[in-house]
Amino acid sequence: MTLKKLWQSSTEQLELSLAIGKKNAAEITKIKVQTILFSMKPIKIFSILAGILWVGFVDVLMINLFQVANPFFLISAGIQVILTKLAIGIYLYQLILIHQVDMSGPILEIQEKLARLKSSTLWVARFLFLQLPVWTTFYWNESMLSSSNFLLYIIQGIVTLSFTVIAVWLFLNINYENRDKKWFRLIFNGTEWQPVIKSMELLHQIDHYKMNTRD
Amino acid sequence: MNEKEQNQLFQQLMEQHKGILFKIARTYCQDEEDRQDIIQEMMIQIWQSLHKYNDKFKISTWLYRISLNVAISFYRKDAVRIGNRTALNEHFSQIQESETTEKEQQMKLLEQFINKLNDLDKALILLYLEDKSHAEISEILGISASNASTKVGRIKDKLKQYFTT
Repeated sequence: MTLKKLWQSSTEQLELSLAIGKKNAAEITKIKVQTILFSMKPIKIFSILAGILWVGFVDVLMINLFQVANPFFLISAGIQVILTKLAIGIYLYQLILIHQVDMSGPILEIQEKLARLKSSTLWVARFLFLQLPVWTTFYWNESMLSSSNFLLYIIQGIVTLSFTVIAVWLFLNINYENRDKKWFRLIFNGTEWQPVIKSMELLHQIDHYKMNTRD
Repeated sequence: MNEKEQNQLFQQLMEQHKGILFKIARTYCQDEEDRQDIIQEMMIQIWQSLHKYNDKFKISTWLYRISLNVAISFYRKDAVRIGNRTALNEHFSQIQESETTEKEQQMKLLEQFINKLNDLDKALILLYLEDKSHAEISEILGISASNASTKVGRIKDKLKQYFTT
């Protein structure tokens, strides 16, 4: 028996016992379900709204305090707000992509769209890590710097420098190639990151598939 | 198409083509509970896409596309859909595993082979085993017919090699 016939006869046998009855089909037409794809939407909309509120608040604060606030605060808050706006931009991009996905499209095209959509979430993580140093500088002020307390300089310097090094390093290294590294697994350990990791693997497969198809 | 006609068409489609959904779920999921989830998700997507059906494609091509897209992008989402699930009356476990005939051993080997493949190759072997033409495979996957032919040739070689070693 050929493998094709073997497969077909085995699936026919199992099909007989598969009862997607009229009842099940009718139930589907009634349920107001959120599909897996669209279930991604509420959390993204919430993140966008929360993000807009936050950047709006910081923007207003910066504008109103522009004349009186110390420059360290203004620069730190400015950097933080720019990075948060970039993260909001990514979520908006994802929302647009969610609307563009037509699951009846060709597999390679749709899977690439979905995988790009999911894996772009990693960029949000990269931007969030990149904000780390400004949380160690926004409270600096002139009197603190002119106090000439050498120990304070050292401690502050070490903290800010190490946060900067870690932030830049993570920003540069959070990518698909490092997915098997211990530190990567540690950061992206939660189940919420599994779809992101799997989508990166799928993108790799799609690229490989496309390359092969040009042979 | 009014809602009633759409409902009827959907139920008719599910009755006639349920095998497509099942075969794909079987190819991508080992766990029975996941299979039920995945079949339900496929049905939802088909229902939601019904009004967009383009008759330049065969209905089976359209169903394969949706079902494969769902299967490949499926992840365990227990928390998301608790309370939304309807029970599907499936009896996947009706194969008598105790009978280990040669045919069943070969089937097990075939399943082992499929399990080792990546998601895209799983789609390809499934379509090959379902005896789809290269033209139809290319339409479903979104690659050219000649590339589909090359890909099928490669997977056949791998399959042959697996069964002879």
